[in-house]
This record gives sequence, structure tokens and C-alpha cells, in this order.
Amino acid sequence: LSLPEFKLLRPRSVEEAVAFLARHSNLRVLAGGTDLIPSMRQKLFEPQYVLDLRHIEELKGIHPRPGNSVEIGALTTLNAIEHSEFLRRHYPVLTEAAATVASPVLRNMGTLGGNICLDTRCLWYNQSLSWRKGCGFCIKKDGDLCHVAPGGTKCWAVFSGDTPPALLCLNAEIEITSPSGTRRTPLREFYTGAGDDYRRLQPDELLTRVFLPEASADYRGVYRKLRIRGSIDYPLAGVAVALKKSNGHVSDARLAITAVNPAPTLVRGARQALEGRAVDELVAEAVGELAAKTAKPLTTSALTPEYRREMIRVFTKRAIIAAAGN
Amino acid sequence: MGGRDARLTAGRRPALQNRKMSHFSVIGKPIAMVDAAGKTTGAGKYTDDLSVPGMLIGKILHSPYPHARIKRIDTSRARALDGVVAVVTGEDAPKTYGILPVGHDETALAVDKVRYVGDNVACVAAVDEGAAEKALELIDVECEVLPAYFDPEESMKAEADLIHDGKPHNIEKAYHHVFGDPDKAFGEADYVAEGRFIANEVTHAAMEPHSTLASFELDPHTGNLGRLTIWSSTQVPYYLQHKLSLVLEMPMSQIRVIKPLVGGGFGGKSEVIPLEIIAAVAARAARAPVKITYTREEVFWAHRGRPRTIIDLKTGVQKEGRITAVKAKVVQDGGAYCSYGVVTILYSGALLGALYDIPNIQFDGYRVLTNKPACGAMRGHGTVNVRFAFESQLDEISAKLGIDPAEIRRRNLLTPPCITVNGLRVLSYGLPECIEKVVERSGWSQRRGKLGKARGLGIGCSHYVSGAANSIIRSDMPHSTVNIKIDRDGGVVVYTGASEIGQGSDTMTAQIAAEVLGCSLSRVKVVAADTDLTPIDIGSYSSRVTFMAGNATLRAAEEVKKQIASAAAREMNCAVEDLMFRDDAVFQKKGAGKGARATPVETSVSGRVEGQILRGSLQQKRKQEGPKDWMTFEEAVVAAIDFHGALSGTGSYAPPPQARGGKHKGAGVGPSPAYSYSAQVAEVSVDEDTGEVTVHKVWASHDCGRALNPVAVEGQIIGSVWMGLGQALQEEMIWKDGMLMNPGLLEYRSPSSVESPDIEAIIVESIDPEGPFGAKECSEGSLAATIPAIANAIYDAVGVRLHEAPFTPERVLAALRAKKQAKPINMTEGIDPTAPTRFREHGGSLWFRGKGPQRHPLDPARRETTALADGDD
Repeated sequence: LSLPEFKLLRPRSVEEAVAFLARHSNLRVLAGGTDLIPSMRQKLFEPQYVLDLRHIEELKGIHPRPGNSVEIGALTTLNAIEHSEFLRRHYPVLTEAAATVASPVLRNMGTLGGNICLDTRCLWYNQSLSWRKGCGFCIKKDGDLCHVAPGGTKCWAVFSGDTPPALLCLNAEIEITSPSGTRRTPLREFYTGAGDDYRRLQPDELLTRVFLPEASADYRGVYRKLRIRGSIDYPLAGVAVALKKSNGHVSDARLAITAVNPAPTLVRGARQALEGRAVDELVAEAVGELAAKTAKPLTTSALTPEYRREMIRVFTKRAIIAAAGN
Repeated sequence: MGGRDARLTAGRRPALQNRKMSHFSVIGKPIAMVDAAGKTTGAGKYTDDLSVPGMLIGKILHSPYPHARIKRIDTSRARALDGVVAVVTGEDAPKTYGILPVGHDETALAVDKVRYVGDNVACVAAVDEGAAEKALELIDVECEVLPAYFDPEESMKAEADLIHDGKPHNIEKAYHHVFGDPDKAFGEADYVAEGRFIANEVTHAAMEPHSTLASFELDPHTGNLGRLTIWSSTQVPYYLQHKLSLVLEMPMSQIRVIKPLVGGGFGGKSEVIPLEIIAAVAARAARAPVKITYTREEVFWAHRGRPRTIIDLKTGVQKEGRITAVKAKVVQDGGAYCSYGVVTILYSGALLGALYDIPNIQFDGYRVLTNKPACGAMRGHGTVNVRFAFESQLDEISAKLGIDPAEIRRRNLLTPPCITVNGLRVLSYGLPECIEKVVERSGWSQRRGKLGKARGLGIGCSHYVSGAANSIIRSDMPHSTVNIKIDRDGGVVVYTGASEIGQGSDTMTAQIAAEVLGCSLSRVKVVAADTDLTPIDIGSYSSRVTFMAGNATLRAAEEVKKQIASAAAREMNCAVEDLMFRDDAVFQKKGAGKGARATPVETSVSGRVEGQILRGSLQQKRKQEGPKDWMTFEEAVVAAIDFHGALSGTGSYAPPPQARGGKHKGAGVGPSPAYSYSAQVAEVSVDEDTGEVTVHKVWASHDCGRALNPVAVEGQIIGSVWMGLGQALQEEMIWKDGMLMNPGLLEYRSPSSVESPDIEAIIVESIDPEGPFGAKECSEGSLAATIPAIANAIYDAVGVRLHEAPFTPERVLAALRAKKQAKPINMTEGIDPTAPTRFREHGGSLWFRGKGPQRHPLDPARRETTALADGDD
């Protein structure tokens, strides 16, 4: 499959990049390219311009700040995150999640910003143009049908990033830059919950940095991912847990799931269910039930929805027990 | 059918078969593949690496409909596009072809109908890929959508809208075989097991996608198109030449097929694939060379993989475990064209025999057409899914009767030499040793049942042909012919039509030639698979190359050797029988010890003779010395050329008549001059909360007759186990109304290195009386044992018996839940994986028909309704 024709823009600074964004409307942003390039070959995107961010040095790197908060450039590779000693020590859930993304080769290219902005996926969408013709297209691209929820008008394409649930557990904030300046927003407000228009990002805006607050440092963390192969695969279900213990009891906890909804989702009530308790099978089981209720898997991906929902339950239980370390 | 009688008159025995292993200098040694350097450095050229001046790129337009009648194709807008040189459609080459003489049901491009999503409609040849792809969007095709068939058992009920005319009920072929008296034997059995097994569809997933470059020469007198040269990723250059001749209506002598390096075939390149014909048709229309390389999705559409198979299996046994009868009804979901289908269904029945001693067999086989890509030959052709069912059922029986699963297999061994009830001749039979080896190495007796919770061991056996005794086109033509030429330089050039596809065919050829001629491997150059240069060999499929092309090489080398020997004997004043060829020299056997190497020839590690310049004068000097008791290989060659003129030899192989099977309808498939045997033990653990199966280790023994190159044999065993592991646990083509939901290597999940277990390959050598140096096949037979070994190990671990492959976590978990009678969760679309009844489509996602939002103009269902409503669209 050939790549569609486009003009390549290669800014050296954030200002330059944002200026390009403001000037050109039919544009796609390329960070690692591991998802965009195959999608362009499938003609899911046929932009006139591709904005290649790879030469913006200021957006690369992990910068610890006083008190162990940290600022991570959006172009930092997943490989760098996986191998950062600082992050492993203070934000283990993030390094664990980053280490499960795709394969080593792809983690060398893929970036944290790219993983946050990852396009939602569906078996009826991530296909070649000629394949999609065969099914009559779908709501997310070129069509008006949903094959996953027949008769529906909402797109259910599933968010399949591994790091965002970990970042949600860490109360991460993101910096978004546009010609009119920068704004900071909690990551949990970034996703819309719709499969097609899945993120809140204006055409002239760019995700530039990720901040992990001091308050989230040194939480115990675990990420568990359902996949068929031991490598390469996108998650079919994913669970991230971050919790803090004092005197053998949970003092704070957050739980997020991915790959079962159009957005990575914090599980409501998880903190209440865990706070003040010593983690045992029963407690973990109860939180597992909560997570399974939050999950709305559909036939967007391999394996049946029922199985994926069940695995959210099992993996949550296991992740909580592992994170509690007893 | 005669029983196990002595109808044995073994064919010609190769002269060297009795030589002890220690006598060999090249055979039996671990040797690097002769083409390894090019493949590892990137210097090697595969078809897609090739380019010729003026070459165009071809792109194919595929059908978006599973079944439709083509009313009109308008290519004018595409032709008008800048950069487009030619657009061809079915009318440009309407002759039908197919790999089997009984299955000529394909055309290069659709002539009147399309029969699956992905069927070939038109081809554009343009200056680059982008222009060709754009042009595809400008081809207007008007279709009448027809009802389509996706489930084979539904398809068999079809009365109207048949996929092919002349195939009532969409049945490509049905066979009903009865050997012995199965009904009586079931009546006398102490226990009869019965069950339905389903194995879902898998594909080869060879690393190299198919690629073809077609180029016509201009006739120097007329300026018209003349000879055609095709470079293609094929396992069967000769069949390709034959089918091209048929479709293009050109004499075979005007077509040259060259096979560059091939990046894996596994059966997916063992017949003529649409792009090979389409590239030639497009090149003819464009009057320019055209190259087509499939995208991965197109590879899935071209397919020819292993069909979904429903097996209703019944086995009768006596209480001590002796099998009395087997009855198998096999339905294969063959896809839209015949391909190898008739052979596939026959193999699935024929190879019920020749592994164990089964006195009574009933086989009912149905190859069914459906509106999906055509299935064909894939590693372990036809046997794998039935073997999964059989070995699983044998395990069920052993549990029922309280007999150790390894022991029950030992109690049903054949006693070769023999001819099975269904007419298969078995001479060498290493199965007993295979079972013994894996039982011993895995610690079967000591460890089984003591591995702790949810961990277990399972055993499975399998076998496979070393080439089919009858070629696709039944004739007495040799299956392989090999020519050898040696010139004054002492270089040995072997010309063989056998196709190296990564399995080591060229290395095997060089080894056999070097061993027979007693020369170093580096002297031997193999020229292979170029129909202008190499004699006919029917190709690399059904694991026939080592046995057949190997024997032909051996015979060709023997013939040349005879000529060298007669000249050398003359020079040495001795009898031909007293000569020995070894270490790049010819010795007199008796004098071999006494100072025969007075002037030793220095050989380097690579076997190259040092001091090239001196050698000529040295030879001249020695020549004048008169009779001697040894000669260098080169001296002997020069003497032979001086004496005979040109030095060349030829050898060919045709399977002996005794190995060609019975006389019943369909008896041609299954017979082989020799069978390989395999036994495997798998150790697995099962996560009882998630259903995930981890394979920790597989012990795999394989009887390959003789390991000509042990490292290559081990590689083939490991590869077979690994491919079997994929089919057992992960790989599955998932369909929804004719749409392949996972046409790529991201969603079609072959195992990655992470979940590949430790595999202990154990070579068993039964020294076949007819194989070259006693060798048989080693590339396919092991695959079929892996799937049941894993299934049986899962049973040993957690007590659930899976009747549907692959054993994905959802299926295993559903089975575990059912066993524990835990809260049921409908994880497998209502299909119980321990007792499956029908196929499982993708998820719960129904192709929505009727209400809902306005359908997209390109939605086939919308076309269907509007066509019915107002008749125009």
C-alpha cells in the first residue's frame, strides 16, 4: 500500500510547530509514526500536510522537579520511560505500563504523547480502503453505520493505549500549546468518551508536556494487560492501579481501565472501596466487580466482549493484590 | 483390500544404503545452508527486490462483495489517468485453470462472477504504485449482488445461486470409503467413543508476501511479443509454466519461469496464485514488464490455507486398548475455488491409515464451496485437523479405559513392512522409537500427575508422506530429474528443478552430490528452479524434495561417478570396484593406507584447494609419472573428460509402482514411498481464572529416516512445533459474513518469541530402504502432533477436553466454568468449546440489516435492496 501524497513539515521548535498548525488545516501530527503511518497507508488519513515533530528537542526528556514531581516531554520515547530509574522508583505504574506497549522496536519509536493521543481502534475501522468498502464503511470514517452496535449512531471504537490508565491513576496533567499560549488540564478531562471525536484538542493545539504531581509520587503501582501474544499486541483489556498504604491499610488508591471503552476510564468508587482497609481477596474481588461494571467492551477487538469484561474483573483483583504487596 | 500381506517387492536399493554413518564425509554433518550468507546479509534477492528497465507496477482491484454477478466493467476513466499504461479485466484472459486437472475453475480475473470478498476483478499497470492505486478507484463495476454462503453445512443445503455451475449443493467433491467391515467391528468393540471436533481456519503467514515479475521479449522478426520470462515466489515453477501456457495460450517452450529466493511457502506458494497469471496478462497488454507484489491483506485473500474442518469421529476399541474401527465424517470449508481441495479432503481420510494399525476404516469426506477465499495446501496438508481429532479421542479413550496414553499408542502400532487396510505401503517405521524417546526425555512416567495444580503433560503422534507417490497429473513421468555437469575446473554443477523455499533443498542437493562424488561441498554449485536451465521437477510440496529430488541427485551423481571411475581405474591400472571417492580424491581401496598421500593436497577449512596456480603444473607432472594408487578429484575429472569427452550425468526418480496405492476412487492420494513419524509430549499450565494456556516445553521426536543435515532437521522440527503451537493456541481466521476480520499480522496472531516454549528436537533414524541414504521427510510431519499434544496436556492439567481449536483463553475459560458449574458467562457466543456444534463468527456483531441509519452507498446490503426495489443502481 502506498502512502498518500503529502507535504512534510519539520519544525525545530514548539513555536514553529504551532505556527504550522495555525496555518494549515488539513494536517496530521507525527511523533513516533508507529500508528499514523500504517493508518495513512490504509487511507484512514489523507492529510495534505504531515507535521513531523521529531526534531523538537525541547519536548524530549524526563525532568524531575523538586519534591519528586516530574515533567515529561511529549516526545519522550516509551523506551526511555520504561528504562527511567527515576520513574521506576517514584511512579512504577507508568514504567510498567510503558514496558508493555507493542514490542521493543516500536517502543524505540513510539512516544508518550503519541500513546496519549492514540487514535481509537476498531476491527471495522483499522482496515484498508478496499476492505472498508466491503463492509460499507462505518461512522468513524466515510460511513454512517456502526457494525459494532447495529442501529446506533455513536462510535464505540476503543481506546487502546497502555500508558494513559497509568497516568490517570497518577492524576497526571497535560500541557497543551496553541498560538494563543499554553494551558494545563487534567488528563482525565482530555478524553470525550466518544469513539470518533475521542479527545479534546483543537486543530491548532499540540500536546507538549505531561506533569506528574508530587502528591502522586511513591504510590505503589501495577499495570496488568490482557493480550494473546506476549508482545506486539495492543491491549484487549488493561488495568492500572496506584495505591498508598499506611500501617498495612490502604490510605489512597486509584484504579483505571483501558481497551474496553472509547476512553481510558478511572473506576469510580475504587478509592472508597479500598480506603482504610487491609487488602484481602474479598476487598480485591469487590473492586474487581466495580471495574467490570465500568467496562463496556464491544466487538471492536479480538476475543468476545464477555471474556474481556471478565478479565477486567480478574486482572483488577490481581493488580490490587499485587500492588498492596501482601 | 488385502491386509498386512507380503506384497512387498522393494524397489531398487541405492547402492550406498548399507554404508555406516561414520563412512560419510558430508552426509549427517550439521552444515550451514548454502544460501545462508545472502539471506543474512541482505544481499540475497527475492522477487520484490528485482527490477528491470521499463518495469510497471501492477495493482489489483478486488471485489467488495462475497458473491455477485458482474454486469458491466468500465475501465475508461482509469485508462485516462496519467501514468496508467494498461487496465486488464477477465475478458483479457478468459481461459480457466486450476492446480488440479479436476478443478479448473479459476480465471485470471473474474469473467462473470465474483465469489469472495477479495476476488480479482481488474488489474492496472502504471508507472508507480500510487498511480495504480488511484486508477483502481476509477474503475466502475456494476454488480448484481447474489446470496452468499459462509457456513459449509448451510452451503451443502443450497439449491439455488450456486457458487459454481455444475457443483450441486455447493459440494466440490464427496468421497465415501469403506475398508474392512467397520460396522461389524464397532459391534464387537468393548467401548466406542464418539464426538464432534472443529478446527478453525488458519493460514501460512509466510514472511515474504507473494510477488511476481513478468516480462515479454519482442520477437526480432515480427516485433510482436515473443518469449515470456516470469520471476516469481513459487514452490512450483513447472506447474506455473504449465498453467501460464494454458491461460496465455502460448507454448510452454516460450515461457521461462525463474524462482529467486523465496521467503517461506508452507504450501501457500505451492500452486499458481492469481497474481502470477495476472502479472503476465497485464504485461502482455501493457507491452512492458509488470511487477505485482501482494499486500499482506492480499496474501490473506489469496490464502490457500488450512480449511475450517468439522470432524465427526467415532473410534471403537477393545478393553485392552486395541483399536478395532474408525469412522470419520469430515467436512471442509473450502472457500470459493477448488484449489487443492480434492487432494486435501482425500488426505484427511487416507492418512487415518499408516500411523496406527487400524483394521477397519470408514471415511465420508465433503469438500464444500463457500463464498470465502480458497483454501489449499498448508504444511501437513489435509492431515492436521483430523489428527487433532483422532489423537484427542484416543486420549479420551485411554482415560476411559484407564490405560496410560503413551501405552495405548504402543498397543496399536503397525508391524512393517506392511500394507495398510487402505492401501498404504509402510517400510520404515520409527514411531515406536519416537514414542520411547519422548516418554523418556520428558520424564513422562515419573512426572505425569505430579506436576502440581493446573499443570500437565500430554502426548500426541503424527506422520506424513515423503512426497506423493502419484503426481497431480497421473503419469509415468519422473517426478524429479537432475543433471550434473563437471568441467575441467573440477567444479560440479547440479541442475535441479527442485525449489529452495528456505527448507534447505539446495543444501540437501549439494550434500548428496558431494557425498557421492567424494568431493568437498564447496566444489558443488546448485543451479535450481529455472525452467530454461533445469530439468523438470514437480516442485516443493508434500515434503517430496529430499526423497525424490534427493534420489534423482544421487542417481545423477552415481552416473557421473561411474564415468570418472572408469577413467580413473584405467589410469590407476585397477578395477572400478577397487576405487573409493573421498576427500576430493580417488583412492585405490587397498592402497589407501600405504603412502597414498605422498604429496598431500592442502585443503582449507572451507575445502578450497590452496595453491591454484601450481596445481596445473603439478597435475601435468603427476600425469607423466604413470600409474599411481590415488588421484586428486581434479585429475580424475580431467582423465574422464580426456577419455569420454564431456562429463555429465543425469538421474531421475519416479516412485515405485508398489508404493502407488490401491484402486478405489481417490486411491491416488495418500500413498507415498515412505512416511515420516513423530511423537510429542507437551508440558503446559493453565491459569484457571483467565483460561490462558502456557506451553512450557515440547519434546518432539521425528523419524526422518536419516538426518542428512541434522541442524536443518532440528530447524524443521522446531518450526513445525512452533507453527502447530500457533494453530493450537492463537491463530484463527475470523470471519463475519464473508469479511475476514483479521487480514494482517497484527490481528492474525502467530506466536511471538515471548510465548515460544523450549522445544527439544529429537532425531530418530529408521534408515528407509528407498530414501537417499535412507532419508525421509522432516518438514511437515511434526506439526500435526503438536495440537493434540497440547490439547491432551490441557486435559491432564485441568480436566477439560477441548473439542474446538484454537484453545484461546475464552474457550478454555468457558470450558473450565462449565466443568466447575460456576456462574455461566457466555464467553464463546453460545458455543461450548468442549462440544462445539457450529462455527463461531466474530463476536456478537451482526451485519445489520433493515432499520437504522441511512446506509452508505457502497454498502453491499444497500445495493442489494435498491437493486431489488428499482432494478437500477
